[in-house]
Amino acid sequence: MTGLYTRWAMILGATLLLASLTYQHYQQHLSTLSVGTLLGSPSATQPVRIQGMVKSGTLKGDVEHGQATFEFVDGSAGLFVEYQGPSLENIRELKTLVLIGRWDSQAQIFRAQDTALIHNFGFVAAAYLISVIALGWMVFAMSQRVMVLFKEIKESKLYEPEADSLGHKE
Amino acid sequence: MQKMINRIIRQIQRYKGWFGGAAAICLFLGLYMGLLASPPDYYQGELVRIMYVHVPLAHTSTLAYSVLFGGSIWYLWKRDPLVDNMCQASASICALFTTLALITGSIWAKPTWNTWWTWDPRLVSFTVLLLILGGYIMLRRLVDDPIRGGRYAAILAIVGGIDLPIIKFSVEWWRTLHQPMSFSTRGVSISEDILIPLTLMSIGCWLLFAYMVMVRTQILYLTDLLHAKKGRLLSQTHFSQTAP
Repeated sequence: MTGLYTRWAMILGATLLLASLTYQHYQQHLSTLSVGTLLGSPSATQPVRIQGMVKSGTLKGDVEHGQATFEFVDGSAGLFVEYQGPSLENIRELKTLVLIGRWDSQAQIFRAQDTALIHNFGFVAAAYLISVIALGWMVFAMSQRVMVLFKEIKESKLYEPEADSLGHKE
Repeated sequence: MQKMINRIIRQIQRYKGWFGGAAAICLFLGLYMGLLASPPDYYQGELVRIMYVHVPLAHTSTLAYSVLFGGSIWYLWKRDPLVDNMCQASASICALFTTLALITGSIWAKPTWNTWWTWDPRLVSFTVLLLILGGYIMLRRLVDDPIRGGRYAAILAIVGGIDLPIIKFSVEWWRTLHQPMSFSTRGVSISEDILIPLTLMSIGCWLLFAYMVMVRTQILYLTDLLHAKKGRLLSQTHFSQTAP
């Protein structure tokens, strides 16, 4: 039994390591701030990601050449955006998207340099968790059942030599 | 031939630990590449990562049913109890893989198609596979005589085998939301970034299925052995108590 639990502790450890690496990756590359949270924070030196919608009637500039200004709203909160980056078809009015850039709190302008799709990472995490937990639990339960059966067979002394009709053991 | 099949099954049983170890390595590498190393898709974004679990699970469930189908034909022909145990093991594991494939597909469909379920030919044929497996498992449990139950279940598995080509070719026969076949005589239509984690996860799932079948077959064999020996001991005890 000890061997079984040691093996499974190693598998669990590796799975937890992978989960923590994925969580770090999510925090560094995918997680987004709301517009309201960004408005209350000081200027950031590192690029941040914000999620919201391009407000209707505010998009100006030359999106095809990667230069535009617009208002970006998230619920009741909104901010002014100066976009300068790659030409993207994503930037259009009423489009919900993720902007990557730096927040200038003094000028109250978000200087965006790139965009990203909404990641929907909750769905990814749900699919992986359900699959890994269900398969892992099933394999563990089966391995444990084999051990229990072997133990039961051993304890019942069913492997004892069988006696013949005259009572002599083989 | 029968001796050879039995020898192969026993040899595989002996080395099942290697299958389990290889499955664990492939799955961990596949999960690492699928979750961290591979880039997001241009259209699907991060959601493409669900494909690295959904597609291998679906492939493995059809592989598992193929094993059940072949094993059932063999069992009806030779009446080999070891193959019958293997079929029983494959059915329950196939049901697990099919259920997980349907659940992960549904999770992917919600943000992509904006619905958890749609009456798509491949979805329907896959659900029919799950229902057949449910029927197989119920039949084995409900029929009192295990030999008769095994025979009926084998017939059901063979009849249900008609669903396999329907699943495979449903994307070509009917109008469907699923993409056409990615592997064909015209070549492979998947980029390398997606192909590597997908292949690793698929191999990992196949090895895991093989390992699970071996362990489950062993459980069924040990349970039968325990019942048989217990029954014999009980009858011996009963005989010694009732003897004058």
